[in-house]
Amino acid sequence: MTDIATRATRVVESPAGRRRINGGGPRAGTVVAFLTPFFLPFVLFYLVPVGYALWQSVRVVRRTGGQYGTSYTTFGGFEQYLEVFQNHEFWASIGRIGLFGIVQVPVMLFIALIMALLLDTPLLRLKAFFRITAFMPYAVPGVIAAIMWSYLYSPQLSPVVDLLKGVGLEPDFLGPGAVLWSAANVSTWLWTGYNMLIMYSALQSIPQELYEAAKIDGANNWTIAWRIKVPIIAPSLVLTTVFSIIGTLQLYAEPAVLRQISSNISSTFTPNMLAYAVASGNNYQQAAAISVVIAVITFVLSFGFMRLTSKKAGL
Amino acid sequence: MSSTVTRTRLGMAAAAVSIVVLAGCSSPESSDKASAASCEPAKGKVTLQYWNAVPGMEKVVDLWNKKNPDIQVETKNISNDQYGTIGNALKAGKAPDLAQVGYDQLPNLRTQDAFVDASACEEAAAAKSKFVPWTWSQASFGDTGVFALPQDTGPMALYLRSDIFEKYDVAIPETWDEYAAAAKKLHKADPDLTITYFDPNNAEWFNGLLWQNNAKMYGYADDKWHVTVESAQSEQVAQYWQQLISDKLVRTDLAHGSTQMYAAYQKDQIASYVGASWGYSMFRDNLPKQAGKWTIVPMPTWGANGASGNWGGSTVAFMKGSKHLYESVKFNTWLNTDPEALALENELGGLYPAATDGLELPSLAEGVPYYDNQKIFDVFAESSKKVDTSFTWGPTQKTVNLALQDAMAKAAAGDGTLSDALTAAQDAALKSMQDQAIPAAAGK
Repeated sequence: MTDIATRATRVVESPAGRRRINGGGPRAGTVVAFLTPFFLPFVLFYLVPVGYALWQSVRVVRRTGGQYGTSYTTFGGFEQYLEVFQNHEFWASIGRIGLFGIVQVPVMLFIALIMALLLDTPLLRLKAFFRITAFMPYAVPGVIAAIMWSYLYSPQLSPVVDLLKGVGLEPDFLGPGAVLWSAANVSTWLWTGYNMLIMYSALQSIPQELYEAAKIDGANNWTIAWRIKVPIIAPSLVLTTVFSIIGTLQLYAEPAVLRQISSNISSTFTPNMLAYAVASGNNYQQAAAISVVIAVITFVLSFGFMRLTSKKAGL
Repeated sequence: MSSTVTRTRLGMAAAAVSIVVLAGCSSPESSDKASAASCEPAKGKVTLQYWNAVPGMEKVVDLWNKKNPDIQVETKNISNDQYGTIGNALKAGKAPDLAQVGYDQLPNLRTQDAFVDASACEEAAAAKSKFVPWTWSQASFGDTGVFALPQDTGPMALYLRSDIFEKYDVAIPETWDEYAAAAKKLHKADPDLTITYFDPNNAEWFNGLLWQNNAKMYGYADDKWHVTVESAQSEQVAQYWQQLISDKLVRTDLAHGSTQMYAAYQKDQIASYVGASWGYSMFRDNLPKQAGKWTIVPMPTWGANGASGNWGGSTVAFMKGSKHLYESVKFNTWLNTDPEALALENELGGLYPAATDGLELPSLAEGVPYYDNQKIFDVFAESSKKVDTSFTWGPTQKTVNLALQDAMAKAAAGDGTLSDALTAAQDAALKSMQDQAIPAAAGK
């Protein structure tokens, strides 16, 4: 079976490879014309802010005399970074989203994979309908989704809570132990459809002959799914995992909205919320250092994961 | 995969380049000492920018605009993240001419050099006599400079559901001890009913309670700030509410002003509200069905100490970078001392004036229909007189408030106490001042 999978990979990859080799070299002018629309905003809205954050993160505030004094900033070396590393709130927030990610990402991707595989079976009818409904939550902005869920969690307003109370349960979705998972649920609801669509697209590109060959060899639908489809779409699983790792580290909207109705989400609940809280206290330099550290951790984790999986799978 | 790696490496190289470029062209962000600006009237028509978070303020501004064709004012509502918006605008050099700033945030913005001194304008300097003394003192930092004009104050009082108190035969509490006893009685009579809620996410409210007990949080002497967030007085307040929380006599799951909070009031689950003067319009506008059921009485006191608390209240500050100081002063003075403007602000936004004349407004002497025609402003006027006028705010109040809230939430969840929250706030005050290079020490 592994042999089939390897062969399949070759079958899928080869047309793309051939195209790359045969493609003629376009002229430099065309390249510039096509790249400018990307690079200009990329420089303006990505590189410049990143540069500015790095610049701010090595500054410190000094002040001259008096009760209120006059402030100025000056070069402070790694002073801000030292503070970030010594800030236990920062590490607590990293730990919290670490726990969040370890649970939420696999759950979400597993559901997405199952849904993608189900959509891909010839047995299922109304595919377009299911595809759209599964994808629909992604069209809802994160903040709106969080507001909607906060109503469903709220003990005062939620029909769900009322229903559960009716059968003798006392759910506390916003309690100290549960609120992290309530936020995770919102993320899962929002992003499962999106991830499913990426996996489903990958499944679509597998040639049908492969399944026919497998069936002749005696494989059933289950075997085809786990032994052929999943290995072939492994690159898209890696991709969605990397996206999810990045998304987890940048978690902000869901807990920030739930915070308005639950005091069990502190102002330093996630690293991004901590950076925001610090910035809103006028400590822009420290907030910049926190942002840079988050970016580096994101970079290390996502690329680390990619390298690890690509080595293992030989992708 | 390899193409992604290449792209990122390119990105990193570009980022490195841009840092070098930025570093090369930057200059130290030093700022001048706040000096009195000149006060020349502009030639021709002027348009001022005024940012605020008061409901209905655009109608007050319309009134001004109709009367003053040469000084037009544009408002922007910044009630969503008020100080974040102001802070970012300052950082970008795009602050408005005037902005609403709460008393507790004035020192914070002052240390960011946010204001311009308008004392060169005669009208601004002369305005001093028109305001309740402590409000002027806070807005001018006890100095001769005029950085802001007081707008409103938030003298505190106790809002009661008189029907519920009558139903369970509970006397109106005059001291905090009596309030705790009433809390027990009400909760015993109806397990779904609590006397009030403790919102762990509301440091401003808690600060108002500390203020009532003469708990001074900051002082300035010998060239440094003295942080006394932890004191015997604040400890007393913390332990009192901790007891109510531990005994489950107050709810801790309702955020101030949230839909959930109003829903709980709507369902008759909460019998009172320890609030400020501006809360009168909030209840009127959000709980219309409870008209006639509310009564406002003086805030419970700490035994023999008859002091009242203050929660909130704002100034309208002269923001740095304004090119029209003369006109700003004219509008600001009108906005905060003109009887017509003040009456409208009280009616629409619930503002309780900081101008002494404002307290004599005919509209404030009348009964308010929602409160069964009770003359509620008499209660607030009495409260206002009993506010400790020497209370001062720290220069990093926002950070301190966040730390206090986070720790209060832990206490509400049973993980720590409100005394711990005071410690957390004390530590945050010292730490944040150190971060801003403001000399500070613990204790008096």
